[in-house]
Amino acid sequence: MSGLSTKRLMKELADIQSKGTPEGIILLSADSMEEWVFLISVLGEETIYKGETFALRMKFGNRYPIDVPEVTFLANEQYQPPLHPHVYSNGHICASILGNEWSPVLNAVAICITMQSMLASNKKKERPEGNDRYVRTAPSNPKLTRWHYDDDTV
Amino acid sequence: MDMSNHPLLSSMDEPPPFPPSHPHLRRLDRSVVCQICKEPFQAPVSIGCGHSFCSSCIRSSLDVMKKCPSCNEPALEGQIRRNRALEEITDSWEESRPIIYELAQPPPTKKRRASIQESNSKPSSSSGTKRLKPNSSREGSGSRSQSPIKSRRSDDGDHNSLNGNGEMEDEEDDEVQELTENDEAPCPICQATLPISSIPLHIEKGCPPPKTKTNGNGVGGRKGNQKADWKKVFSGQGLGGKSKDKEVEMKRITKPNYSLATPADLRSILSEYSLPTTGDKPTLIARVQEWIILFNSNLDTSHRSSLSALRAKLSDSENSKKRDKEKGKDEMVNQLGSKDGLQKYAKEKKGEFERLRKEIIERDRKRREQEEGKGRGRDNAIEVE
Ligand SMILES: [Zn+2]
Ligand SMILES: [Zn+2]
Ligand SMILES: [Zn+2]
Repeated sequence: MSGLSTKRLMKELADIQSKGTPEGIILLSADSMEEWVFLISVLGEETIYKGETFALRMKFGNRYPIDVPEVTFLANEQYQPPLHPHVYSNGHICASILGNEWSPVLNAVAICITMQSMLASNKKKERPEGNDRYVRTAPSNPKLTRWHYDDDTV
Repeated sequence: MDMSNHPLLSSMDEPPPFPPSHPHLRRLDRSVVCQICKEPFQAPVSIGCGHSFCSSCIRSSLDVMKKCPSCNEPALEGQIRRNRALEEITDSWEESRPIIYELAQPPPTKKRRASIQESNSKPSSSSGTKRLKPNSSREGSGSRSQSPIKSRRSDDGDHNSLNGNGEMEDEEDDEVQELTENDEAPCPICQATLPISSIPLHIEKGCPPPKTKTNGNGVGGRKGNQKADWKKVFSGQGLGGKSKDKEVEMKRITKPNYSLATPADLRSILSEYSLPTTGDKPTLIARVQEWIILFNSNLDTSHRSSLSALRAKLSDSENSKKRDKEKGKDEMVNQLGSKDGLQKYAKEKKGEFERLRKEIIERDRKRREQEEGKGRGRDNAIEVE
């Protein structure tokens, strides 16, 4: 990590420490400066994800925040990615904020909030079209995927 | 829970926030912060839409996307204008902040004198390293309300202690009390030889080269040619013919067309600024790009860094990128840390991070338990702390 990205992340961490995270978002681990995991749940009675918790992993490179971090939902024995038309079963997410809409003024918590509201606004539990095909051929780093963003993407 | 006197956190430059009873002061604090790096502006510039950022922040961002990071309006590098007023405001706010911070405290303490003295000394613009003055006064503000030792440190904070003007030895005992060794060790990033206790701050300031003995007992030859090249750069020998800063034209560098430029073109740009010319084309491009950002943004401020300080930064970022590819930073520091002090530094930094992390996770765990206790998905906010 370069001095700049480390410093920025230290600041974000200190911020989380002093101000906390928004409701439904919890920092589960930050085992290194490079990789953080947040738990995300959708609040309220309306949501189709009531009672579910998802783990969102972020990997930060040395050009963060100029470059977007690599963000995926964990898919393991403990956590499953949400059933959502923009979330593949391997945890990859098709969201413009993680691609061409990323801005270096954003931060880790902002990504969590966006993911949370992407889930909150969803009415139908389903995988994206072509999920199986994508998952079979997907690179492990979703940033290497050429995403096509729908209009309704958050 | 008192982290305010930890050397790494204080060098992290995090002044205590104003109390909530002063929202306007909090707002003022925020308004001198760049939204990209979240630090007070360094060499602030504005772009077409009117938003302002540090020159190097927006230059890096525009290299990646041609729009304003704040409002998404299309933006080009050519729109960048130095924002002198904002720089003046940022500087004077940081200078006054300790005083105003003191005044904003509910019970006025008798320590006020110290802070007034502190703010009396004028910032010295002679040194190359940027923003030392504001940093040190902020640091002062962080430590004032504590022990007498700390207020002494605030007073010392005004001497540009770590700008590499050769007076470091006297001051870092005050600067970083916890690390008392006077041993010297190579900086893990730029390899410059420094007293161990001053290394953390040296790194935070972007590796300003110490005046002399750059290649003293540094870790030799580990990186082959490139390392040797950087060493030459820092020892003032330069690589090409003209190595004196004076001879370099202080004029914005125009970006070459990277797809058309030959390695020879790139090397000639690099040698013009006495930079290493080793590496393949992608390496050369990355070095030229980074240098142009550093060099051009240095023209957007009245706190100009010396060319050697810029070179140190370039070397720093190049090393950290390489390191990123290879392995984690801690490992690197450990590898290089042939001396106890460096290891201690690495451990401390790790420890600090570890502690922050544990605190947050512990707090979150409690919160989760509470939430679960009440049944999931309730929307009443749980305030922690
Ligand atoms: Zn900035
Ligand atoms: Zn804008
Ligand atoms: Zn004018």
